[in-house]
Amino acid sequence: MAIEDDVLVIGGGLAGSMAALAAADAIDDARVRLVTYKQSTLRHASGLIDVLGYTPDGEGPLVDPFDALADLPDGHPYERVGSEAVREGLAFFDEIAGDAYAGAHTDANALVPTHGGTVKPTARYPASTAAGLASDDRDALLVGFKTLPDFEAPLAAEHLAAAGAPFSARGVTISFPGIVRDDAKVTRYAHLLDQDESVATSAGETGAREALARTVGAHLEGEPRVGFPAVLGDEHAAEVRAALSAALGADVFEIPMGPPSLPGVRLEDLLYAALEDAGVRVTSGVPVVEYEAGDTAGADPADEAVAADGGSDADRIDHVVVDRHGAEIPHRAEQYILATGGLVGKGVRSERERVFEPIFDCHVPHAADRYDWFVDDAFGEQPYARFGLEPDRELRPLDADGDPEFANLRAAGAVLGGYDFAAEKSGAGVSIATGYVAGRRAAEEAGAGR
Amino acid sequence: MSDAERPTDDHVPGAKDDEFEPIQVFPEAEEMDLRPGADNCYKCSTCDTNCPVAAVDDEFPGPKFQGPEQWRLKRQDDHDIDDSVMKCSNCMRCDSACPSEVPLSQMHNTARAEYVEENMSKLSREYWRNRMLANYRRLAPLAATFPRTANFVTGLSITKWLGEKVMGITSEREFPEFATETFREWWTKRGGAQVESDEKRIAYFHGCYANYNTPEVAKALVRVYEHFGYEVMVPEQSCSGTPMFANGMLDDARRAAETNVEELAAALEDGADIIASCSSCSMSIRQEYPELFDFEHTEDVAANTWDAVEYLRVHEDLEGELEGTSLDGQSFAYHAPCHSRNQGLDGQTIDVLSAIDGIDAHDVGDSCSGISGTYGWKAENYETSMKIGEEMFEHMEDAPAETGLTECPTCSMQMGHGTGYEITHTLEVLEAALLGTELGTAGSGTGDGDADAVDGGRREAK
Amino acid sequence: MANDTEVLVLGGGSTGCGIARDLAMRGLEVTLVERGNLTDGTTGRMHGLLHSGGRYAVSDQASATECIEENEILRDIAGHCVELTGGLFVQRPEDSDDYFREKLEGCRDCGIPARVLSGREAREVEPYLANDVKRAIEVPDGAVDPFRLCVANALDAENHGARIETHAEVVDLLRDGDDIYGVEVRHESGPGNRTHKAAGTTEEITADYVVNATGAWAGQIGAMADLEVEVRPSKGVMTIMNVRQVDTVINRCRPKGDADIIVPHETTAILGTTDEEVSDPDDYPEEGWEVDQMIDTLTELVPILEEARTIRSFWGVRPLYEPPGTGTQDPTDITRDFFLLDHADRDGVSGMSSIVGGKFTTYRAMAEEISDHVCEKLGVRASCATADEPLPGSERIETLEAGMDDFGLRSPVARRSKQRLGSRASEVLDTDEANPVVCQCEGVTRAEVCDAIDQSGSDLNAVRIRTRASMGNCQGGFCCQNMANELHPAYDEETVRAALDELYQERWKGERHALWGEQLSQAMLNYALHATTMNRDRDPANEDEGDGLEYDNFDGGRPTAETRADGGARLRGETGGEDSSRGRGDR
Repeated sequence: MAIEDDVLVIGGGLAGSMAALAAADAIDDARVRLVTYKQSTLRHASGLIDVLGYTPDGEGPLVDPFDALADLPDGHPYERVGSEAVREGLAFFDEIAGDAYAGAHTDANALVPTHGGTVKPTARYPASTAAGLASDDRDALLVGFKTLPDFEAPLAAEHLAAAGAPFSARGVTISFPGIVRDDAKVTRYAHLLDQDESVATSAGETGAREALARTVGAHLEGEPRVGFPAVLGDEHAAEVRAALSAALGADVFEIPMGPPSLPGVRLEDLLYAALEDAGVRVTSGVPVVEYEAGDTAGADPADEAVAADGGSDADRIDHVVVDRHGAEIPHRAEQYILATGGLVGKGVRSERERVFEPIFDCHVPHAADRYDWFVDDAFGEQPYARFGLEPDRELRPLDADGDPEFANLRAAGAVLGGYDFAAEKSGAGVSIATGYVAGRRAAEEAGAGR
Repeated sequence: MSDAERPTDDHVPGAKDDEFEPIQVFPEAEEMDLRPGADNCYKCSTCDTNCPVAAVDDEFPGPKFQGPEQWRLKRQDDHDIDDSVMKCSNCMRCDSACPSEVPLSQMHNTARAEYVEENMSKLSREYWRNRMLANYRRLAPLAATFPRTANFVTGLSITKWLGEKVMGITSEREFPEFATETFREWWTKRGGAQVESDEKRIAYFHGCYANYNTPEVAKALVRVYEHFGYEVMVPEQSCSGTPMFANGMLDDARRAAETNVEELAAALEDGADIIASCSSCSMSIRQEYPELFDFEHTEDVAANTWDAVEYLRVHEDLEGELEGTSLDGQSFAYHAPCHSRNQGLDGQTIDVLSAIDGIDAHDVGDSCSGISGTYGWKAENYETSMKIGEEMFEHMEDAPAETGLTECPTCSMQMGHGTGYEITHTLEVLEAALLGTELGTAGSGTGDGDADAVDGGRREAK
Repeated sequence: MANDTEVLVLGGGSTGCGIARDLAMRGLEVTLVERGNLTDGTTGRMHGLLHSGGRYAVSDQASATECIEENEILRDIAGHCVELTGGLFVQRPEDSDDYFREKLEGCRDCGIPARVLSGREAREVEPYLANDVKRAIEVPDGAVDPFRLCVANALDAENHGARIETHAEVVDLLRDGDDIYGVEVRHESGPGNRTHKAAGTTEEITADYVVNATGAWAGQIGAMADLEVEVRPSKGVMTIMNVRQVDTVINRCRPKGDADIIVPHETTAILGTTDEEVSDPDDYPEEGWEVDQMIDTLTELVPILEEARTIRSFWGVRPLYEPPGTGTQDPTDITRDFFLLDHADRDGVSGMSSIVGGKFTTYRAMAEEISDHVCEKLGVRASCATADEPLPGSERIETLEAGMDDFGLRSPVARRSKQRLGSRASEVLDTDEANPVVCQCEGVTRAEVCDAIDQSGSDLNAVRIRTRASMGNCQGGFCCQNMANELHPAYDEETVRAALDELYQERWKGERHALWGEQLSQAMLNYALHATTMNRDRDPANEDEGDGLEYDNFDGGRPTAETRADGGARLRGETGGEDSSRGRGDR
């Protein structure tokens, strides 16, 4: 027999988690399930919550992202859900994240130093980055590690100056006490600090936190804050920062890094803890491989009402099939949400001749000739960056004729097209806003159908 | 054409045609060319962030290096696999982590086999120790014949000392106790199946541990399935191969797998589905067999093998049946084994048990227990193993429960070793709820609460 | 008036660098100028086949014989650039038996060791060959890294006193009546190793003799002095696969045709190629169907290619030449032989010869013949030693292979690094400093990158061709930035930024031709990493009005003046709740 739920979310990244949490929040005792295959792209991402840093025309960095929402072009996911929903979604995220994130005290974007040395606009940032804003004018010491070639602190300091940052930054490169191999993973650095493992230093055995603070302390010249690449603990990150901060007598912050990103891992942990608290059932490690469509709205008057409401006679998804190492397990729900990610998360795939969405084969607009999928400047207006589904204002993916593909399927996050999150710096914001809206609407509709 | 008729896409993740199929001119898996598997890697290192070993030991460069990077840098004639591959514990977490379907554990298994074949001396202590641990099943029958003697002998400090000095097996751990009556002896004595059915039939793959050490788990499976009206078959079987894969002993694994596939395929012929109670056994048959071997029926057997609880959820109204049952005042600290996680079963136990009144089950998080089968038994890995387990121990102690719960025998040993808790198996809980039997504990490895050993272990880890 | 140099060589490809080395070893004073990086022309745009001669064994036996001779020499003098892969001429059921026989006989006539394998035997050598291949001829084809080989020649020329100027474009030939006496070059950033953002200059370099070794560009150089050089550039596409599906060179055994070769090259396999005449070697169409043709046609030989990942494609332009009046229509029929055009004999203009035609495998023999010619012109008596003296990196290559020292690196990284560096390995890799891997795809460590920077300045593309860093599956997505980091502090931030941008754009250029499937996903990840995470696309430092960014208007992260006073305490207070989130833990 099928595994039954009210709302089934496919995809376990930021959009899918937000959708599941919003659905669980919308209706009491809603049975919400989240099915996720592999790990999401959260671990690739910096952990920053960007809402809108630049307009699609490249204007920016925007001081107030919300100001610019009203002028977004038709079809942009923010335009689809409306600016009020963007604010609501973000408020919902703030509630879930609690103290782990900062930035909610103002509508203004913050400018955060990147590990490439420049600055970027973002709306919310992890607590670990709070003391490190570039739009904060206190001087900073940046610390890099000889064995982490991704971040060159002295170069980043010079770069911040070139970007006009309003403080003086200085960089030093040190050996990380306790790391014995040059190819140790970032989780190793984090674990050393998390567990405060005992490490050998010239001054004898000490805890890893103390050893690190002592090494950095020797370079500190009165700067009120010290920045590190984002490796300062995983499970006990706040404790690690507090210990370093106390030992150095300065604020300690992390500079967000590329993959693998510990702030991304921490955000994922936070979301999954929230999912568990909210009673969302999570099935992970297995793919949804196909679906079975049911009759269009039939005998059930509630269904008809929905169909009428949606103004469409689209098919309904009866159930989807989850593959567990060859065993095909049907999962049935009233409402489905597709949050499988974009090209990177593989919610959108491509071949030489086509771009497609692999589970429901929803329409993905794209040029027929793959040489029209890109432009020659790597940072130009890249069509491929906008690949994804085209939704209506209910976030239901539309087919080539502009009709909903299914009456009970919504889409959220990077699987949506029509925006370039990388250029706009809008990835997390779109996932949160569309996840929130899709989750709420799906739960309300499922609730009405019960 | 309506959407319903529209062909669904045939490039879904994990679908057969997505996989490359090397031509089968090679007789040996350790010569398999897995370089094309590196095509799927985009270097995101998600696998590395999931590796419990890389987080505690920087001698291990992580699954990305061991898998796609090492393979991609390889040429046909290169046989110098980096020796760090032996530090991989084969927890297979990287498999379910990879957002891009790189066949990581297959790459590790194959590289490890090649390393053992090409680089490890067949005369070394390490080789023979690994071989012995990998072939636990061959030793177990002997011990099971004289369980009391065996339990006495393995418990002696001199035995442990010798184990550590001579074989490199850590003396920190208690050897698992052998049952006085194996499951198969019980089954024979009982007269086999007590329910007959042409419709509902399962073949039980009990594996080694439930047979020799924790027959209560196996008995619970039989009773629960009989409760649902299934005819239970217990076919001949060999070790699932998990410990052999983990030690690069692919030849041994191949022999065991060949027997299992043959016997289980015969059971399929008889109309049975295959059920396992140990998460590593089901993992091995479902994933590793088809990745590494190509005996006739391997794919069939893999596709029709199920986890014991999963099968009931899909084929019966398990949660409906559990509604109204109760087990008062039971709280559990539940650890989902990595090999369950890999099969998408990590949420299942908490889901199912929530239907039973009075049960309070706490998931202790997604960390690895650290023992990974034979890994944590090796003296050189003991400390790493306990460091990995630290997070789980902490969470177990934080959870308001005094009993541990899991589906993996070696995780169970580690949970008991690290906390001194009694550890039970989900099937035993289901049995207690459905049949009203008293809840047993399958054994924690320190069933008698050997507090000294426990504390010793914990101190070592700090 | 004394000239600046005795011989001026134009063009930093294999021919030019080979000539520079040869003449420098003979004791001549040599200067070489190249408009871009070494290998930027045709040399860096070939499939890396070290011909056994088998390909020409039917159509052009003279070339075939020369190939097998040079093949054997390069194995000796350039061991660290050459991989002895062996090669197969594979016959499919539909391919002609007659041609197979002709090929086999041709090989034997030319002294190319050749052996026939059954289909099954061929598949034992290369398991991914199609099930139905009929049989194959095994020949001693090899793979060669044209970048390393060319750079090693230049390095050795420098060791013998030559001056090698890259990023120095010839803007004029200096001609005085009927004599050419030098060139004017425009330095992109001043003479010597390139430094980004350094001001450009022009320089006149005079010489006793000028050698125009610019290949497909020889006509353009000639035109600067009103000389006509009838070079007929012909383009060919090559597609790079992410991994080696084969470890042997796979040729299709049929008369001629496009898409008939797969060369295992370092960590990749290269599919080739086409042959189509173009009018301008710098401007010709690069089209998707050409890439498709490589994949679709070669899939007949190696079916796994159909679904395999392509990481980029590139086009090379052959410097084909035929004497005036030959009138060949199809470029595949133009001879691969080379021609030495002495403009004194041809056009009555002294002081310069042009070299056109030819092929990479025989670059050394060509260089020898031209050097002989130059020596004769200059009245120098010195004999050629390039066939006997190993190139830098290939001295004592056997002892290196046996060497056990892994320099603390993981074994496959050590193996590939040692292969690239040859006998320079311990000089480069033996370090007490931290030596992390900078490019993980190709296993390139910091020490090797820094060694290349020492050689080539701030030009990261020059670092790339020396080390292979950024040439793996992420195409620089993860390592461009790390490579650039290694330029600091020797180069300042602005220089580093310019060098990084140039490398990143260069990587993107080739990747555009592989934008589907895995590589499109990779491109999106790279884009997200560089644009979203690093904001490199809108870096205020790159904006002219960068200083105009009003940081004050943005969130400074300090909501109240009170918390401002005590940063440390505020931080701890603010983040108190964070530790309680522990994954999928407590309910």
